Amino acid sequence: MQPQILLLKEGTEDSQGKPQLISNINACQTVAEAVRTTLGPRGMDKLIVDRNGRTTISNDGATIMKLLEIVHPAAKTLVDIAKSQDAEVGDGTTSVVLLANEFLKQEKQYVDEGVHPRYIIKAIRKAIDIIIKRIDELAPKIEKNRSLLEKCAATALSSKLIHQQKEFFAKMVVDAVLMLDDLLPLNMIGIKQVQGGALEDSVLVDGVAFKKTFSYAGFEMQPKKYINPKIALLNVELELKAERDNAEIRVESAKEYQKIVDAEWNILYSKLDLIHKCGAQVVLSKLPIGDVATQYFADRDMFCAGRVPEEDLNRTLKACGGAVLTTVHDLNDNVLGKCSLFEEKQVGSERFNVFKGCPNAKTCTIILRGGAEQFLEETERSLHDAIMIVRRMIKNDSVVAGGGAIEMQLSKTLRDYSRTVAGKEQLLIGAIAKALEIIPRQLCDNAGFDATNILNKLRQKHAMGECWYGVDITKEDISDNFEKCVWEPAVVKKNALVAACEAACLVLSVDETIKNPKSSKGDGGSPPNMMGRGRGRPM
Amino acid sequence: MALHVPKAPGFAQMLKDGARHFSGLEEAVYRNIAACKQFADTVRTAYGPNGMNKIVINHIEKLFVTNDAATIIKELEVEHPAAKIIILASQMQEQEVGDGTNFIIIFAGALLHEAEDLLRMGLTPTEIAMGYELAVEKALEILPTLTCFEVKDYRNKSEVVKSIKTAIMSKQYGNEKIISNFVADACISILPEDGSFNVDNIRICKILGSGLFNSSVVRGMVFKKNVEGVVTKKLNAKVVVFTCPVDVTTTETTGTVLIKTADELMNFSRGEENRLEEQIKSLKNIGVDVVVSGGKFGDLALHYLNKYDMMAVRLQSKFDIRRLSKTVNATALPKLVCPSKEELGYADTVYIDELGDTPIVVFKNDGTDTRISTIVIRGATDNYMDDIERAVDDGVNTFKGITKDGRFVPGAGATELELAHKIAQYGDSLPGLEQYSVKKFATSLEYFVKTLAENTGVKAKEVISKLYAVHNDGNQNYGFNIEGEGDDIIDASSSGILDLYLTKFWALKYATQAACTVLSIDQIILAKRAAGNAKKASSVNKLEMIMFEIR
Repeated sequence: MQPQILLLKEGTEDSQGKPQLISNINACQTVAEAVRTTLGPRGMDKLIVDRNGRTTISNDGATIMKLLEIVHPAAKTLVDIAKSQDAEVGDGTTSVVLLANEFLKQEKQYVDEGVHPRYIIKAIRKAIDIIIKRIDELAPKIEKNRSLLEKCAATALSSKLIHQQKEFFAKMVVDAVLMLDDLLPLNMIGIKQVQGGALEDSVLVDGVAFKKTFSYAGFEMQPKKYINPKIALLNVELELKAERDNAEIRVESAKEYQKIVDAEWNILYSKLDLIHKCGAQVVLSKLPIGDVATQYFADRDMFCAGRVPEEDLNRTLKACGGAVLTTVHDLNDNVLGKCSLFEEKQVGSERFNVFKGCPNAKTCTIILRGGAEQFLEETERSLHDAIMIVRRMIKNDSVVAGGGAIEMQLSKTLRDYSRTVAGKEQLLIGAIAKALEIIPRQLCDNAGFDATNILNKLRQKHAMGECWYGVDITKEDISDNFEKCVWEPAVVKKNALVAACEAACLVLSVDETIKNPKSSKGDGGSPPNMMGRGRGRPM
Repeated sequence: MALHVPKAPGFAQMLKDGARHFSGLEEAVYRNIAACKQFADTVRTAYGPNGMNKIVINHIEKLFVTNDAATIIKELEVEHPAAKIIILASQMQEQEVGDGTNFIIIFAGALLHEAEDLLRMGLTPTEIAMGYELAVEKALEILPTLTCFEVKDYRNKSEVVKSIKTAIMSKQYGNEKIISNFVADACISILPEDGSFNVDNIRICKILGSGLFNSSVVRGMVFKKNVEGVVTKKLNAKVVVFTCPVDVTTTETTGTVLIKTADELMNFSRGEENRLEEQIKSLKNIGVDVVVSGGKFGDLALHYLNKYDMMAVRLQSKFDIRRLSKTVNATALPKLVCPSKEELGYADTVYIDELGDTPIVVFKNDGTDTRISTIVIRGATDNYMDDIERAVDDGVNTFKGITKDGRFVPGAGATELELAHKIAQYGDSLPGLEQYSVKKFATSLEYFVKTLAENTGVKAKEVISKLYAVHNDGNQNYGFNIEGEGDDIIDASSSGILDLYLTKFWALKYATQAACTVLSIDQIILAKRAAGNAKKASSVNKLEMIMFEIR
């Protein structure tokens, strides 16, 4: 018997072979367990407290996965695909995790039985190929119109916390997205949360709204409402200050000293003058606007706000036109923004600056009202998902029926296909077909229905060629979800399936994990090692 | 310290305390062989299309999922001195050819494994090493005669795709078609007239989201960045590249501006503004559309850039700046001055786009004079994309090999088996003790077919005997068919499984050298580790302890 030769650094963890593969799959299953109950309209939310004590209530798969701080190398893959789905389409994050997990779970038995993982990977890839083609065949191209977009948004929202108000919000989301320009930049939809009031009190502003900034004395005197004002957007500090850090002033006489002091005031006043002269009535600056300036503006019936967050300023820029100026010397009519109404409004306990009726409003703001902070945050996430869905819909126009309908149909397609191939592949593809049923099954489970019964009915319908039958959550039955307008963009489903496939293949293709010891920064903390291990061998 | 054990008389006495020394067959050679073998076994399961991936987590907790031997050995911190020799050989291969790293480790491991038998038979390590060297010489002599395919025109896409497919197949089995298409597209489009090809000119940009099928090739460069200003798209753009920040110029030495009178104070900042405006206006005047800078864009500068409708892009990496200069044919300027016409670069389109939720800046040049192209990889997980990137790298390196030498030998283990076959015959003709080691060299070559078969889950012996039978009949292109059922064999040449001649050539050479080096060691003397790295010392100590126990 030979003692092991130390090939790698001490502390290296190494595990390999089939047991390693199985344990990776098991780890993924554990992770998926955590999010599976959040799927669908009847899914439950999770309350997560992170290490800083911040609580988050969510049923968004990506949010939960991110907060879980998973360290297991294989299970991290699932987090990655949830993030990827979030990045690419913004919704369907729970489904993607569930699908990947179910692929692994169904194929696990074959790994156990000794099928080479490469065969399984090949089969999964083939299966995904077939179903992606099938989606393309099935998904009807639909002319883009408002009602279509609203239906998709409503489907996305129906699984969220705010599903009670889904019609209300679906409309709002579609309005918001339609206001954007062709690129549909997400950051041009601002979502502001204000506690208090009811969800229905939330409003969509066709322009910009942001919380009143910190203001100096004199602010009260300024008017709070303008019709057709001109807006100057600045990146200038309107305050008495040193012109430059490394400038030094040497004066020789007391008279000169007074002049210098005057000059400093003059610099400020000349800036203010320029702003006033150009005809601006509303002055916004990224940098602070001091009390001298505030009072100066108040005297001249102008409104000002300093320390406006950059993001808000950029959105104001998009909405009202003009340019953000770093110097006041270029102020002229061209660089001033315009809107039809500016006012400062009370919303809940906050005051808001609202710009409305902007000429080229390519931006909008949703002011969310509601109870608890966590509730508002979850609402914001839900709206984000819905907004993403609508954005995707505008770019791609094919839809499929939700409620597990498309998955059942794909499952049937695969099962039919698997019967035509010989060999191991038949079983492997059959397993994928079964794995796809997880979506309707989980929908039923979460709603408390008898999944077996409903799946039976669904299979029967699909076998008869009714390809849009899915779970009907409201009736505890099945129905044609296409007619019921439970619609999802095909691209969401396609992306979810591709991502799930890639993740499953990745996990399956690993047979060894080697973990190097963490390199500790500065070895000072660790005790000196035991030289010679007590055998008295001098070092 | 506890009881002092007196040192054995002899060599150790002469060394400083803490130095260790091992000599002789038992102590040095066998142990080295065992270590190398163990190491080779780690990467062996990653060989070939059916090889499995490894998860490697390195010392800063970064996760790698790969079956690329070069990456595995780079991230593994191998301690054993003999195993390190093999790693060095493999790294040489990575630099020389960029592919076939696994080949070296497996082959060197196999050679050493076989050598152990011979040593136990009574041959000396030198005799074995000599025999191996004889054999490899013969092998390299035979290798050119095995060539079955040659890329004549490396601008012909279908030929290129055919030839790089095999290299990619061993990394991304199942995706080889799509990836080799990308690689071929990217490589051919930027190949200069004189045919000198630089791997660095193929860039890879990984963007999370979607799937591999949405990857694409862009002629020009892609950066995961957003533009600084408000201008987002320029057609037929003239590009100026600065390595310095674009801002109000400041002095390097800390100076103090001395202001004497009130007028000076009043005009101070106004003067600065005007100066900058002047500079930026002069850029506009000569027709600059896009300003790229290696440093920051000052607020004021950005303001003027927006005013004069120019696009501002900030690149932090010096290398990116250099590559971009090459892409657009611009000269990077170290100072904020007005460039001459020659120093300006040109790009057909410069625009921002959004892939997934990542904003990207694209510098696109569809003209013929582009020297850089980018492969945009999409994928669901970072690790997955990293692995694709490595596959692409291998493909690009293979292409580089083609531009040097377009010859190909059959893959799927056919070349190795044919070599084994021929060398075994050659061994029979040798008179001396070399005969044994030359024959063992031949046996070692069988390891590749064996590994391919084992990784696929097929009985290796059956495949090898079947292949020998076919090769004996003169069908030298037959190899193992990984896609078939059981011990199936296939004509590698006609089914398009091709390995680059250069890869095989260097790999055989390096691997034999490494094995011979390991064999020729009969003493290991380890000096005491310098203090300071307590952690490393402790692990060496453990090695020593184990060695001590064996004695």
